[in-house]
Amino acid sequence: MSCNWRGQCYNFSMYKKILAAVNEFTNSELAAHYAITLSQSCRAKLFLVFIAQEGINKNAFKQAESALERLFVEADGRGTEVESITEKGEPLQKIHSMVKSDHIDIVFTSTRREDVTKRFFVKTLAREFMLKLPCSVAMVRVVRMGKMHPKDILVPLRGEMTHLEERACFVAKLAQGFGSSVTLFHSARPITSFFHGEVHLKPSLRERHIPKDVELFTECLDRYTITHEKRIEYGGISRAITIEAAYRRNDLIIMGASERSLLRSIIRGNPVEEVLRETPCDLIILRPRHEHQ
Amino acid sequence: MKIHNISRGEVFQNLITSEKGLSEEDAARRLREYGLNEIKEVRKKPLSLRFLSQFTHFLAVLLWIASAMSFLSEYLHPGGGMLTLGIAIVAVIFVNAVFTFIQEYRAEKALEALKKLLPFYVKVLRDGTEKEIQAIGVVPGDIIILSEGDKVPADARLIETNELKVNNAPLTGESEPQLRSHNSFDGDIIESPNIVFAGTTVLSGSGRAVAFATAMSTQIGRIAQLTSAVETGLSPLQKEIVRATRIVATIAAAVGIFFFSLGFLIGRSFWENFIFAIGITVALIPEGMLPTMTLSLAMGSQRMAKRKALIKTLTSVETLGAVTVICTDKTGTLTQNKMAVRRLWFDDRIFEVKDLTGDNVVELLRIAYLCNNARFLDGRYKGDPTEVGLFKVARETLGELKAERIREIPFDAERKRMTTLNAVEGKIIALSKGAAEGLLPLCDYLLINGEKVPMDETLRRKTIAVCHSLMDMGLRVLSFAYKEIERSAVAVTSSEEIEKSMILAGLIGLEDPPRPEVAEAIMKCNRAGIKIIMITGDGSRTAVAIAREIGLIKGNPVVIEGREFNQMRDRELRENLLGKEVIFARMTPKNKLRVVSILKEEGEIVAVTGDGVNDAPALKKADIGLAMGISGTDVAKEASDMILLDDNFATIVNAVEEGRTVYENIKKFVTYIFASNIPEAVPYLAYILFRIPLPLTVIQILAVDLGTDMLPALALGAEGPTPGVMKQPPRRLKERLLDLPLIVRSYLFLGPIEAFACMFGFFWVLYNGGWTLGTMLAPTDMLYLQATTACLTAIIIAQIGNVFACRSSKESIFSIGFFSNRLIFGGILLEIALQLFIVYHPFANRIFGTALLPLSVWLILIPFGVVLFLAEELRKFYVRTYRHASS
Repeated sequence: MSCNWRGQCYNFSMYKKILAAVNEFTNSELAAHYAITLSQSCRAKLFLVFIAQEGINKNAFKQAESALERLFVEADGRGTEVESITEKGEPLQKIHSMVKSDHIDIVFTSTRREDVTKRFFVKTLAREFMLKLPCSVAMVRVVRMGKMHPKDILVPLRGEMTHLEERACFVAKLAQGFGSSVTLFHSARPITSFFHGEVHLKPSLRERHIPKDVELFTECLDRYTITHEKRIEYGGISRAITIEAAYRRNDLIIMGASERSLLRSIIRGNPVEEVLRETPCDLIILRPRHEHQ
Repeated sequence: MKIHNISRGEVFQNLITSEKGLSEEDAARRLREYGLNEIKEVRKKPLSLRFLSQFTHFLAVLLWIASAMSFLSEYLHPGGGMLTLGIAIVAVIFVNAVFTFIQEYRAEKALEALKKLLPFYVKVLRDGTEKEIQAIGVVPGDIIILSEGDKVPADARLIETNELKVNNAPLTGESEPQLRSHNSFDGDIIESPNIVFAGTTVLSGSGRAVAFATAMSTQIGRIAQLTSAVETGLSPLQKEIVRATRIVATIAAAVGIFFFSLGFLIGRSFWENFIFAIGITVALIPEGMLPTMTLSLAMGSQRMAKRKALIKTLTSVETLGAVTVICTDKTGTLTQNKMAVRRLWFDDRIFEVKDLTGDNVVELLRIAYLCNNARFLDGRYKGDPTEVGLFKVARETLGELKAERIREIPFDAERKRMTTLNAVEGKIIALSKGAAEGLLPLCDYLLINGEKVPMDETLRRKTIAVCHSLMDMGLRVLSFAYKEIERSAVAVTSSEEIEKSMILAGLIGLEDPPRPEVAEAIMKCNRAGIKIIMITGDGSRTAVAIAREIGLIKGNPVVIEGREFNQMRDRELRENLLGKEVIFARMTPKNKLRVVSILKEEGEIVAVTGDGVNDAPALKKADIGLAMGISGTDVAKEASDMILLDDNFATIVNAVEEGRTVYENIKKFVTYIFASNIPEAVPYLAYILFRIPLPLTVIQILAVDLGTDMLPALALGAEGPTPGVMKQPPRRLKERLLDLPLIVRSYLFLGPIEAFACMFGFFWVLYNGGWTLGTMLAPTDMLYLQATTACLTAIIIAQIGNVFACRSSKESIFSIGFFSNRLIFGGILLEIALQLFIVYHPFANRIFGTALLPLSVWLILIPFGVVLFLAEELRKFYVRTYRHASS
């Protein structure tokens, strides 16, 4: 806990215990790299966990074990307190009980390409984790191997957000860990009038329309002395985010989990789901659970 | 730490693979994780939904309501003729929807062209065995085996190379073969020699590489994503159409509701009020505007094609006229892309080509001849334009030279030089040519009058100063060096050793001459208030010199080089772009998208030229993407809005002139069409207010809007450019198609004259037929039918006068040439023919509710056309005089 000159105190090391769920797929291993960096940056204890489901084949088991071993060596080499756990059973149940018993702050899980082809991720383990684990969850979609150190992280922000402190902490700690710069991005609905259609605003005027929560988030981020730039664009949210990431050659996108209900998602679409499908770089969807302290 | 700056072992570790490649099981698992290695289009609104949306906008909804009410009234009062009206309104909705869709539709084929860059089959190492698999099956971690002629299927890090050269032109535009190596590299991944990119081709040699990005994660996938996802938004004309239709629809709805309510208050029946409401709505909506606009744009695109500008999207025709900034390449567009040697520096003097004797320049030109891949075949020089320029001057000065080439260290962007080992007169000579910054540091001597002089600091500085002075003349400067090598050492000497301690023979400055017509085109742009930004891969000195030569810059321009550009934040770049004269030097195509985006954010209407695959996103993002017809790739052509068939900058300026003319012409025919709305609406107001028979039926209104008006309006769309069209600044974004002067002219000046004519015709026939005020006539009464026919005919005659009036807004028709647009006369003839058909053919009489008119009625009505024309001439005279006096 740190306090600023105004006497306001913030929990700068929100994450004390981090769990990364690993399996036989490479993207879970790559996702766990983000967990290692966050653990190192937060000086948190890292739990590398492989839950072998019933009927898993021998090769897959071996793959997962090797991944666990490689990750352990890497985390240990980076001076992180790390524990490697292999158990048999249902991943959700097992990890749920670990989160409870070990007071895990955040779980890293990965999602595969075939998960994102399912509408609203129904019946995917990643979605179950997001909805049912009693801690923060970072769902990682790895689209590209080989880029281990994001140079610039794109952080799309909604106009209204909760858990600003935790979001800022997560972004800042990862950025610190990778030595990355951060681009805060807000995609707003275009300003329109009935007769004039879409009103074009120059960037200098756009800044006046930045929502309050984005400003608050920036304030939170400023406490971590992270280099950041702010951009505001108009248009469809998901399309604006993916274009921005492709155009700016961002290496990682960190965005909040969808708060839209299933019905609203069916009617109005779900930007998070759309970004997951079309992201040009790795993507972390964060569902924060830590309240502001 | 990135994939290109780690060691071979770390590559395997990071990509979780090994020298034996992946196992089949691993590969299958990764295929599930990362998907097929293919270029996919991002999800978009389906074409069917885009078409359906043409039926749901404000105007369409209004018309749907009108047609539904017509069908309802036909159901409640069968035989009242409302069924025909309902069908006619639905037809109007469809006509407008189809024509709007035609304007907006654009076939997305850029991705198809990108897909063709990827191979079908590829050799990979799986379980330690070489296998040929489908390229879509390549996954991250696969070891790809590359040999001559192969297309690269994925972005991959090289782990083994054997004189591997690739052609990166599809991706970077660099036409020279790029030598690849497997050593780690610090720098940008795009420039990294240890990376091969999907879509590029192996020219020679062989190698092995580990795939680290497949499908849409590759560089080419990123281009595909940007190309298919970037949305230009509505064109200026489309925005104006939306605005105009909303204004008109609102006026129509407001007038309809007001008089409908008024009718109730003054005791009119629901039925009468209803007919009125429908009639006034149909009268005030210019049903023919969209079809006429589409056809006019199509005609504009035909005219542009004749001027070597091939238009792909119709609305682009007009957008060109609104362009405020043109971002243009230099080589091939402003210049001829024919490099010719202009100056040579050797023996401490600068020579012109004509001063060369052959004796004084042997060493320098020998290097230019032998360290060169251009050839003279079948009476023509073939090869890279720079090499051809050098080879030509060397061959023409020294004659044919024979020397066996033993080895070549090819040119690459990092080394910025090329070296060959040649056997010359029994000796082995290393010959190098390259950019001064790449070659000068390797030279320890300078050749002056056949003597090797040690290159001290003073001499080095002097050489650099000469190099800069040549660049300031707009020349591309290359330096040339040589050294003798022991025959026995050839096989064992490394490339680095060969290029050490060389003797500088001199410098050669080449010029890519500007296209002759470019200076005039740039002057036109300056007069037309269009800013031109040059984006070139050349150095800043050369770029500035050329820009000055062609008149692109006059003062001190803002010059931004690629490296500086990459470090600039948007705010800084934005401030620089506000400069009056801006040049971007040493830029790569990927930088263009950023320039275009920032200019667009600043509210500019941007045209950008491009030819490479990497240009595609910028071409798509710009308001007008201009692809090169000769040198352009298929991807660039597909992503563009217009193709320059001759790659010439002057063609862009011609197209802008045509675009501006099209916009002026659209205003002309919009005035023409809107003027006829008043004589269509006034009969309904008279009908509801004065209890007279309805002077004009809805079907007759549609006959004017979608029939007789169309061809003269189209002829107005074919008017030639006015002399001042390229002497005025681009129209401001706030300038409206439907502005106040246009509305006043058509609704309050031309319209009322026409309304008077039509009402005069209607009452003339009625009174002469014995009708008295207050008498209502049956819809089938012959007198009534003749009266409405006279009303309709009066509108047609007045519109003939109007079409001449609308040919200009201020100038007298006699000053622009009464017969200068022959199509007007054709349009009028067809208009008259159609009206004769409506009046005199029994079938048309049934459809339009018309009857035969005696000649006397025509003769009574003709003067109205003349009066309207003369009234407009008077108005124009007053405007010219008033404007002249006030100025």
